[in-house]
Amino acid sequence: MEIDFVDNEISISQHPVTQRKRIRLVDDAHPFDLDAYISGYSGRTAFDRLVHIISTCPAVAPQALKLAFAQIEGLRDPSLYQTAMNAYDAVADLPDVQLPPVSDVCLVNTAWCEGVAKKNQAERTKLEVELKTYSNNMIKESIRMGHRDLGDFYRATGDYTQALKHYTKSREFCSTSQHVLDMCLSVLELVIEQRNYAHISSYIFKAEGALDAAATAAASNTASSSGGNSTTPVLKRSSERDQVQPKLDFAMALSHLGQANYEKAAHFFLKVGPSDSLGDWIGKASEILFPLLAPGDIAIYGTLCALASMSRSAIKSQLAGNAIFSAYIEQEPYVRELIQSYLSSDFKNVLELLERYSTRHYVDIHLYPHVYDLTNLIRNVAVVLYFQPFQTIRLDRMSAAFGWTVEEVEKEVVALIQSGQIQGRVDSQNKILKARKVDHRAELFAHAIKTADEIQSTNRKLLLRMRLQQADLVVKPPKSRRDQDRTMEFLQGD
Amino acid sequence: MNQSGLPTPPPGHTTSNANPASSSTVAGQSSNDASLASIVATITSTSNPFHLNQYLRNCASREIREALLSSILPGSQDPLNLLNARNNTLGMLYILSARLHTVASDKPLWNYVESFCRDFVPEHARLAPDRVTILATGIRQFAEAEGNLKLAITPLSDLLAKYPPTLSHLTTIHPIFLMTCVATRHFTAAIPVLSHPITTIDLSLSDLSYHDNLLHHYAGGMALAALKKWQGAEELLEICASSPGSAASAIQLEALKKLVLVQLIHHGKTSPPPKYMHPNLMRSFKSSPYANFVNAYPLQRDQLRAIVENEQQLFLNERTLGLITQALDRAPRWAIKKLTTTYLTLHLSDIGRRVGIANENEVKSLILSMIESSEISAEISVDGTVSFSDLPVKFDKAEVDRVLEQAQQQDGLLMRLEKEMERNKEYLTKAVKSKEDAAWGPAMDEDGAFGERPSGNWADEMSFT
Repeated sequence: MEIDFVDNEISISQHPVTQRKRIRLVDDAHPFDLDAYISGYSGRTAFDRLVHIISTCPAVAPQALKLAFAQIEGLRDPSLYQTAMNAYDAVADLPDVQLPPVSDVCLVNTAWCEGVAKKNQAERTKLEVELKTYSNNMIKESIRMGHRDLGDFYRATGDYTQALKHYTKSREFCSTSQHVLDMCLSVLELVIEQRNYAHISSYIFKAEGALDAAATAAASNTASSSGGNSTTPVLKRSSERDQVQPKLDFAMALSHLGQANYEKAAHFFLKVGPSDSLGDWIGKASEILFPLLAPGDIAIYGTLCALASMSRSAIKSQLAGNAIFSAYIEQEPYVRELIQSYLSSDFKNVLELLERYSTRHYVDIHLYPHVYDLTNLIRNVAVVLYFQPFQTIRLDRMSAAFGWTVEEVEKEVVALIQSGQIQGRVDSQNKILKARKVDHRAELFAHAIKTADEIQSTNRKLLLRMRLQQADLVVKPPKSRRDQDRTMEFLQGD
Repeated sequence: MNQSGLPTPPPGHTTSNANPASSSTVAGQSSNDASLASIVATITSTSNPFHLNQYLRNCASREIREALLSSILPGSQDPLNLLNARNNTLGMLYILSARLHTVASDKPLWNYVESFCRDFVPEHARLAPDRVTILATGIRQFAEAEGNLKLAITPLSDLLAKYPPTLSHLTTIHPIFLMTCVATRHFTAAIPVLSHPITTIDLSLSDLSYHDNLLHHYAGGMALAALKKWQGAEELLEICASSPGSAASAIQLEALKKLVLVQLIHHGKTSPPPKYMHPNLMRSFKSSPYANFVNAYPLQRDQLRAIVENEQQLFLNERTLGLITQALDRAPRWAIKKLTTTYLTLHLSDIGRRVGIANENEVKSLILSMIESSEISAEISVDGTVSFSDLPVKFDKAEVDRVLEQAQQQDGLLMRLEKEMERNKEYLTKAVKSKEDAAWGPAMDEDGAFGERPSGNWADEMSFT
């Protein structure tokens, strides 16, 4: 559990080597509209994204810092000022980066800080006293709510460890599966905000378990109650499921993405329901407490993962022909262009688009660790797809189609052949790529003969092994050491 | 001539020799008054090998038996003169094995040993497997004491050829013989033995220990590796390294190191070890310099050379330097072979660059030698362009038939084994028992599912660090 994730981030970004690799340009070739981008988010996630932008794009850092400061006043955590300024200073300290000092960009609102700190203190005392009273009175439901409120409070003030502790504690006082579900969703929001991908899946399973339990409970209720009004609770339950399922799918997808499991991530992103079903996880309305993402993000994550991992036909049927998902794609027009270019085999355009919007991808807090891998995968898929219909092709034609030099093409193709993704060979003198001709009959025979020999020798070895065991001719630890080993095992097992 | 320093039985004693039939039955009691002369007389007169074996086994108290057996008849007559291997196999076996282990070494004894190994009756000798083991170790020790280990090869090979019903039965003679072959570098002598893979373990045939199995396969693997019969060597070493056991033996670790090197030489890469190999072996292997060597193979030649240079002393001590050097020499070949799957044509200089050889002529001669040994199929044109083509796949009807026949044989063998297994009482009890357990299983699970869900301690699942 990374309780001080944000701090970690900063300590890493202070390291100049990592930082230089991460710096992205914002220029005509790589357009990035900060205002338009950040307007899709609000609250904590907007702030987190801005901090990430500060450390990745020095070109827009002052602007991002200003926006971040503006966001802070809408939140309840004064320590965020320090986080933002640390990130800004770390970038400003880098060589070849010229930035005005923080004090020139904007000022810390100290009066607000003090006020909020005081208010936070008061609320915390109040909530803790309440919880104590509830605990003394042993009212299960009240204790649960006390823990939940404290969890919400700590989350809002940025103390994730305490928040998680209270959320998980509230689980002991849940009396219905609906409560368990609520708790799971709160924890999911928390871990997603923390970008703790490895933990996401376990809470999804717990939430699904709670959903199932709720469904069975409802079913048994209806069965026991008289037939007349039995349909209503079932309907209610299933709508409950409809409401929660998209969130779980999204969380699952994000967890797979976080662990570089692109194919599974694509599958779950494409399954996510319409955007209004994600409810309070999406969008920017002010009454929403903890928004996590913008609809455009789903389009980008899903499309990149799908292009990198799925087959062409699957992309056509599941991505291009997916009505719900196209609603997301509408948010980011270039994604549609990307898919269209891919489906019409205009790979040069695909790669250009990926390059053009690389800054947009690198500033995303969930996506940035994977942009490089995803781009590589998409490029590999493109080369493989391009070569598929050909028996032989000149490398200069491929270089024209991809916008690379012949040497680059050759390097790329050779790497793909060596990893087994292209069945072909390169004529390095004449710069031609030839598909491999296989004599299937001969290969089959050769394979069969080889396998027969292998199986025979394996059989022999296994039979000998069996007989050795039957005769108890097995390697035994030396007698003098046996006692010693036992003590060692005992110590290790302890 | 009595060099053993033990009292020679008084001559008068020989006359009080009981008749053979009764002496074999009352062997235990009459042990005290046994003498070599009486023993020899019994040997020559008893026709039933079982009784004779029983008698010889108990003919004197344990302490003096060996001394008695290795002594000389009164009148400094050698008892072996009175016996011959064909008719008195057991008797000679007992006397020879005892004699070989006494300190004395007399030349004439060796003739008896050799003639015995040539002519003995295996059925009789199998009655006393422990004596055969003593004889085999004695032969080796004797040759060593003579300062000429090679002497031992012929008698051991004769002994080994006759004693087990087939060469596929593992005996204690196997490892002794192979170790002798390897120690004297007479690798070819081992081939007839190694061409029969061990398939049968019979403890009544030979008093085996797990060491015998390990040593046989290890020494066999070494012999075949020295003869560059890589495939056979690989198989034997793998058997040694993956032998069953609750612990890992040092022999197995050595076998694993050699196995990996043989694989590098033979295939250019290592194949994953069998799943049933003891996990500690892989662990110790990974921490040895061999693992680095494997990881760098075959492309990073400079690194390979550096490893060999730095660890030369270790490789020398572990007697693997020869294999290491061979693997190193073959590294560019594997690298070129890899290129053939990727390229149709390449210039010699390109190949040299990728493989790490600067000299074009060297690359050329390397490729030529690879083409000659049909490792690759390629053509070199005048301007130095190499065009690779696929190796022709060779197979003919006879080979296919051979494979099919072998497969049928295997099938038959496995069927027979399975039926044997199904008749096995132990197996049946276990199978019935596990079936009963299985019948109970699901019911228990259901109980669990509807039982109370364990609550609490959820917070503990996440560690707050």
